[in-house]
Amino acid sequence: MPPRLRLALFALALACIAPALPRVIGAMPVFGSHPLPYGDIINRLAPVQRHVTNMVSAVNFDYRGFDTLGEEMMLMVAVTGTAVLLRGHRGESLTALPATVPGRRIPPHSEALVLTARWFAPLTILFGLYVALHATVTPGGGFQGGVIIASALLLLYLGEGYSGWRRFMRTEALDAIEGGGSAAYALAGLAPMLTGAEYLQNTLPPGQLKSLLSGGLMLILNAGVACAVAGGFGILFVEFLEETRAEDPNQ
Amino acid sequence: MTVLPWAVCVWLFVIGLYGIITSRNYVHLIGCLSVVQSATYVLLLAAGFRWGAAAPIFYDHPPGTPAVDPVVQALVLTDIVIGAAVTALLLALALQLHRRKGSLDPEELRAMR
Repeated sequence: MPPRLRLALFALALACIAPALPRVIGAMPVFGSHPLPYGDIINRLAPVQRHVTNMVSAVNFDYRGFDTLGEEMMLMVAVTGTAVLLRGHRGESLTALPATVPGRRIPPHSEALVLTARWFAPLTILFGLYVALHATVTPGGGFQGGVIIASALLLLYLGEGYSGWRRFMRTEALDAIEGGGSAAYALAGLAPMLTGAEYLQNTLPPGQLKSLLSGGLMLILNAGVACAVAGGFGILFVEFLEETRAEDPNQ
Repeated sequence: MTVLPWAVCVWLFVIGLYGIITSRNYVHLIGCLSVVQSATYVLLLAAGFRWGAAAPIFYDHPPGTPAVDPVVQALVLTDIVIGAAVTALLLALALQLHRRKGSLDPEELRAMR
């Protein structure tokens, strides 16, 4: 379809919908002062029932834990699909050099950059672990912590360059972390069924309010999500950055 | 001012859709898809907002203080992470497309036989 025809169709659709838009916006609930029944129930019950202070984690890993299992599977499928698409035609050699464009040399890394990356990557990982571990207490959780940990891997890439970075990024380990995290989430749901409870029902002791060990089953699910997200994004980084390699001359 | 959040998410949705429709490059199209997606984040967070309420974290203030809706925040939180992974999948598709056809322009691509 030519772009002008598409644009004309878009304009036509917009002309049909536009008169209704003010009415729809006008019929929306008053911003900031309308009842939030479901949220209020969670806010009231979660600190009492589950002894957690972070309501968002309580929704993610307990009250709507089954939905998060679906999100978990989506993440795994997206990462697997990316790996399958990109891994297709290249070799798996670990020591391949980064590709170069004729006439443009790769400049040597400045010592300041290497030092900064080596300092900040472990600190970023530490911060990611802190955010992930405090899921049930303060703002944070496996999703956020996992992404922060994964971003530290990119910092290391900045500092070490492709060859040095790829040498310690073991895809087997990343695959195991990603799949292990997802499996831990799915299997932790089965454990309560051994005692006659329902799938993903939180039957573990809830612990003390404001304690790092509060939340029962949420802690296991949260750890699974943190591993799956950190490993999954690590795989994505490896797959995309392997695209910058030089072609293997032996192939 | 109470109309502004709803208007913002309509604007984000429409401008992203316009970008998708007029796009001449798949990478640009994927970026526009992310703009459309962020319209849903604005909609969800605006739906869960409440004036004068705190974050739904009862660490510094005791349980029972008015707080915003944690359900929509949980939805947005998971969706941002999953959305990033799905964007990576789409970019991988675009990369393979460029390798096979040498172009990222939707107009220059013919249906596969």
